[in-house]
Amino acid sequence: MRFDAVIIGGGYAGCTAAGILSDAGMKVCVVSEGLSLSVSGSKTPYAAQSALQKRGVTILRGDRAVGAKVEDGRVLGITTRNLGPGTMLEAPFYILATGKFFSRGLLSDKEHIWEPVFGADVEYGADRTSWFDEDFSAPQPFMGFGVKTDSSARVYVGGKALENLFATGDIVAKGCKEANVTKLIEDYAGRE
Amino acid sequence: MTSKEYDVIIVGGGITGAATARDCALRGLSTLLIERGDICDGASGRNHGLLHSGARYAVTDREGAEECIRENRILRRIASNCVEPTEGLFISLPEDGLDYQANFIAKCREAGIDAQAIDPAEALRLEPAINPRIIGAVKVPDASVDPFRLVDAHILDAQRHGADIKKFTAVACLVKENGRVVGVKTAAGEVIRSREVVLAAGIWTAGLAREAGVNIGMMPSKGALVIFGHRIANMVINRCRKPANADILVPGDVVSVLGTTSDKVPIESCDDMRATPAEVDLLLREGEQLVPSLAQTRIIRAYAGVRPLVVADPAGDGRNVSRGIVLLDHEERDGVPGLITITGGKLTTSRLMAEMATDLVCKKVGSSAVCRTAELPLPGSEGRKPSFEDPFVERAAIGRHGTEVSRMDFGKGGEILCECEHVTRAEIAYAVEHFGVRNISDLRRHTRIGMGTCQGSFCIRSVAGALAEILAPDPESAARLADEFVSQYRQERWKGITPVLWGDTLREAEYMQKVNGNEI
Repeated sequence: MRFDAVIIGGGYAGCTAAGILSDAGMKVCVVSEGLSLSVSGSKTPYAAQSALQKRGVTILRGDRAVGAKVEDGRVLGITTRNLGPGTMLEAPFYILATGKFFSRGLLSDKEHIWEPVFGADVEYGADRTSWFDEDFSAPQPFMGFGVKTDSSARVYVGGKALENLFATGDIVAKGCKEANVTKLIEDYAGRE
Repeated sequence: MTSKEYDVIIVGGGITGAATARDCALRGLSTLLIERGDICDGASGRNHGLLHSGARYAVTDREGAEECIRENRILRRIASNCVEPTEGLFISLPEDGLDYQANFIAKCREAGIDAQAIDPAEALRLEPAINPRIIGAVKVPDASVDPFRLVDAHILDAQRHGADIKKFTAVACLVKENGRVVGVKTAAGEVIRSREVVLAAGIWTAGLAREAGVNIGMMPSKGALVIFGHRIANMVINRCRKPANADILVPGDVVSVLGTTSDKVPIESCDDMRATPAEVDLLLREGEQLVPSLAQTRIIRAYAGVRPLVVADPAGDGRNVSRGIVLLDHEERDGVPGLITITGGKLTTSRLMAEMATDLVCKKVGSSAVCRTAELPLPGSEGRKPSFEDPFVERAAIGRHGTEVSRMDFGKGGEILCECEHVTRAEIAYAVEHFGVRNISDLRRHTRIGMGTCQGSFCIRSVAGALAEILAPDPESAARLADEFVSQYRQERWKGITPVLWGDTLREAEYMQKVNGNEI
């Protein structure tokens, strides 16, 4: 399936990006697994996604990205759990907006934190004792963990920024750039 | 104005002090128990909640094992409402071999502990969660005990037999006159006199004794534990080998507790015990040998307590030191009359410790009253539990408070505020009235509020509101108090969450940060 943009994550960040892109006339696909911390409840995310659908955005509700095809520093497509390995979602560019831990944009075990779709480089403390502050109400370091992006919000994988993968929302590490969607429209409009 | 002189003042509101206060009161002594915080604030509230059968000590400490099985039988009888007769399994893995098991069974039987070898396949049918690689299993009469409930029951009974209980009152020092201990001085400067003072303050005993010129070599031994989000096994699961780290998994109400470690720690650290990430990693590594699914089980929190071990030689790691009961007659030992120390021992043997201490108090004050604590049931465990026409709401309260539930006024609100543990508004009112609850942490110790699988995530605001309404003089200060309760509660829980902050726990932590509006 081909689109002008594929957005992974249907929370506040993903839906906002989808809205701006579709307003610019792009054919957008959003993969939305479900629970989001950024938009609370059930009614509000449903209303937002329904509004997008009315504007022609394709929303894969209750689905999650499970794999990505990457070649020569470019994402060629992603696969989802529900569509299966035989169906590739393809677009000139992709936006990663899967949030942090709650929404499973980031996974963790005792020693590691990782991003499961692309294996993106995640910024986090090497020692688990540095993940938190003892004071509950103090700023918590783990709330700043996320994927590393370059100055154009391109996501780093294996130390190199992928050319057409951008990130926005909670998944982006503190201090790193979030995707400028208006700029993406300028860069990609009319390319395909 | 001089306050009354007691026969005995007991310092410390853990299980040892509470059981001693009960015994003294039952023997007709005028008794005061004094505790700096709430009951169960030290090691009594920070352990496995395991009622030992004695099997764990059968090989290494025959005397301790015999004490355990005797007391185990007594507590099942007198504290039936605090004990859940789960039974226990000692499992052998291939690397443990079966030689230890053979010796273990023989030693258990010598100590009077009913230890039955069962087929590994039968053990797996009883407890499917245990490591399927087991080559042997032994069934023993271990059980689960609720330490908070047990201490509460002792305190209630002591009070009903005339004892005075002063909580939230720190003892600044012992008062000595002409070389004799004649009472205690509180932090507020009040002097309370007594014929005998019994120190039952766990690891904090050493400091009080030292001030009075008595040296007790105490070694704080830290034990860290991890709580899992559900009941993984219904029996107590032990490893059948020489006692080591993380080899016991105990079911307690709706959760399971894995422990423990054993490390010598500085005495200064005992006021702020917390489990560390390194201890949690060690517990899990070892615990997964007992029950492999622990690796995938949601962890609620980790905590740590301090065993008050008494040593002649303060070297070693604390596991090879005897955990036996230590009763010190400081008149005999140090030439300081009026002072007695009772320490060491275990939760399981607390009644016996109290009996020994009270026997000595009676000898000193010239009483010939005999001990009846092994026969008389504790409040909540007396006879048949009451039944309700509409049992749903009250069922959990009966489980916690047993026959005492008849003192609860459900007219004060039958709605459930804590969903996990089914705590009602009426139970909160009861806890305030009968246990002098002042804040959420106190309430947790007396009702299990927020101790279930959600750890207060969903209920804490309504619970805080209900408690504040009872405690505050007007609605405005109630609102302020409720906010204070919520942040105190969150901070206290956070202390137990940080050592296990990964996976699902990290997901929940992000959620809690957002819910509380904390921003980076």
